[in-house]
Amino acid sequence: MRTRDVFSYSFSSIKLRKLRAGLTTLGVVIGIAAIVALLSITTGLQNTITVQLETGLATDTLIVSPGGGVFGGGQEGSHFGGGVIGGADSGFRLLINDTQIINDLSADILTSIATIQRSGYINSTDHERMTTIVGVEFEEYKSIYSTTFVSESDEIPDTPTNDTIIIGKRVKERQNGTVLFTAGEDVQIIWTNATARPPQNESYPGHVVAVLQEVGGFAFGGPSDNNIYIPIATAQEFFNTSECETIIVKLANSDQATIDAVSKAIVNEFAGEVSVISSTAVLNLLGSVFSIIELFLVGIAAISLLVAGIGIMNIMIVSLIERTREIGILKALGMKSRTVLAIFLGESVIIGVIGAIIGIALGWMLSNIVAAVLSSGAITIGPGAGAGASGDLLSIAPVLTPLVFLGAFGFGVGVSVVFALYPAWRASKLKPVEALRYE
Amino acid sequence: MVHLTLIIEAIDLKKTYMLGKIPVEALRGVNLKVVSGDFLAILGPSGSGKSTLLNLIGALDKPTAGTLLIDGVDISKLSDNQLSHLRSRVGFVFQFFNLIPRFTARDNVELSLSIAGVGKTERKNRAEELLESVGLQDRITHKPAELSGGQQQRVAIARALANNPKFLLMDEPTGNIDSRTAREIMNLVKKLNEKHGVTIIMVTHDQNLAREAKRTVQMFDGIITADIENGEPK
Repeated sequence: MRTRDVFSYSFSSIKLRKLRAGLTTLGVVIGIAAIVALLSITTGLQNTITVQLETGLATDTLIVSPGGGVFGGGQEGSHFGGGVIGGADSGFRLLINDTQIINDLSADILTSIATIQRSGYINSTDHERMTTIVGVEFEEYKSIYSTTFVSESDEIPDTPTNDTIIIGKRVKERQNGTVLFTAGEDVQIIWTNATARPPQNESYPGHVVAVLQEVGGFAFGGPSDNNIYIPIATAQEFFNTSECETIIVKLANSDQATIDAVSKAIVNEFAGEVSVISSTAVLNLLGSVFSIIELFLVGIAAISLLVAGIGIMNIMIVSLIERTREIGILKALGMKSRTVLAIFLGESVIIGVIGAIIGIALGWMLSNIVAAVLSSGAITIGPGAGAGASGDLLSIAPVLTPLVFLGAFGFGVGVSVVFALYPAWRASKLKPVEALRYE
Repeated sequence: MVHLTLIIEAIDLKKTYMLGKIPVEALRGVNLKVVSGDFLAILGPSGSGKSTLLNLIGALDKPTAGTLLIDGVDISKLSDNQLSHLRSRVGFVFQFFNLIPRFTARDNVELSLSIAGVGKTERKNRAEELLESVGLQDRITHKPAELSGGQQQRVAIARALANNPKFLLMDEPTGNIDSRTAREIMNLVKKLNEKHGVTIIMVTHDQNLAREAKRTVQMFDGIITADIENGEPK
């Protein structure tokens, strides 16, 4: 029997039971749609976040913070040391002067700057807002984060006076547009000194010189919309410390080899008491986290497809029993067993192909609807969304890669065929005499 | 005188079924020779083994013991695929027509050709030709449910003839249709045998129908008890 005739026979038996075939196909459609929708949304989300991160990240910088472990290093492999973010409390503290040690480590290090960070408040007569106070060397910080440490109107001075304050966009105004602080305003900076006995609030008067342009998304090491920036000297005096939280290292280039070598040198210099994080490592980590989430979600969706597969098997066994006599006739007319097998598999291929195509289209539609809902602001996801601070709207562009398209298609058809194998095999093994006698 | 070739030869053919756990001897040693151009009627009460014999000759089943030669080939030595091929060269007509309900008369006849690998255009022409030859030229696009019993059986005969079979096997072909239509069917069958030289083996329990055949074989309890050709015992 010719292949075309086999398929047309399969098709004619599907057409006979439209509702049944439709419902069976629906199972495949739902499974495939779920897989495609989840994959294209997570891929889109990953792209969005990566892009946001990359704008806030300088790929040629490393962040050094106290706490053991190399993160994003090379030869020794990447592993999360104790508390990469924040640093483990081994008692080791980075000193502001350590920048000099780091600067001398490698020719690939252009410069390094220390940052002091404390939680505190910015206060005016009308408003008070919790914030992170960051002490940095303005000129160098500007040169490292030249695209994000930028004022929306006024200049950020290279040599600030002691009371200079630069505020982030979300410190200036809330997401809804309520203005809290403006450039040129005199404010109080308040910090609770918990080491004093009794703990006491300390404050100093500052002057808002400039407001940063909106950075958006996540700021890793670099400027954030929710922070305020003060000169490092002021921070050192105000917080009464010579220690710093992080040292940002600017490299000559962003080659992986340079990143690895410098990271290793820094860790060795501080006897393993520091963590070095590169922005590329953060991106890589994020990528692998997304892969796991993706795998998990797709796994769940795949289960629904397996259920659909069992549905196909079930319906085909019913169909096989109903059509026992028909199979007997076909065999009596000289049809080979393998042709009977092909006819049954053909039915499942048709169901699989139609289900997969509709499923992919439906999944793609679903992901676009979800993306549209997310972008419209009905739901906000983002750092500090709940705190009423930043809460960036997430604009996701769902991505349907050819691989996802082909994979979903193949999986849909594959599941259909695999689950039809047993019924088809049973049909092909029917003995003509017994099948013909079947009532 | 036409040269007669031996196309079927059964030698001590036995077939035992298992009915649950009880073995049932449907054939207990059948010896039979059929030559080309023969028109054979197998008579006998139900349970005498006549249908079993027909199924074996049609390669629908394999014998338990003994030899069955079709065109000189022992069918018990054939593979599954070879048996399928043999079946496509045999025309089978059943008591209950066994047409595919969702197919039109033409599609049913075409099915047989399609299984044999005949291309679409040729299939269509041949099917229409065959339906015309059994007098169904104006029922070509009717489905079995829209046809009378006699018409359905004619479609089945057209289907059986589609691949120019070596012989036509008919299992109670008129058992499910009224006597007047049965007469028409018998005339058609006789015509096929006499004018076109189609070899026919027909199972029936109707003495009157059997009289139309050139040769009658009487079966009882799994063996042939009488074999009469043109009124003379063979």
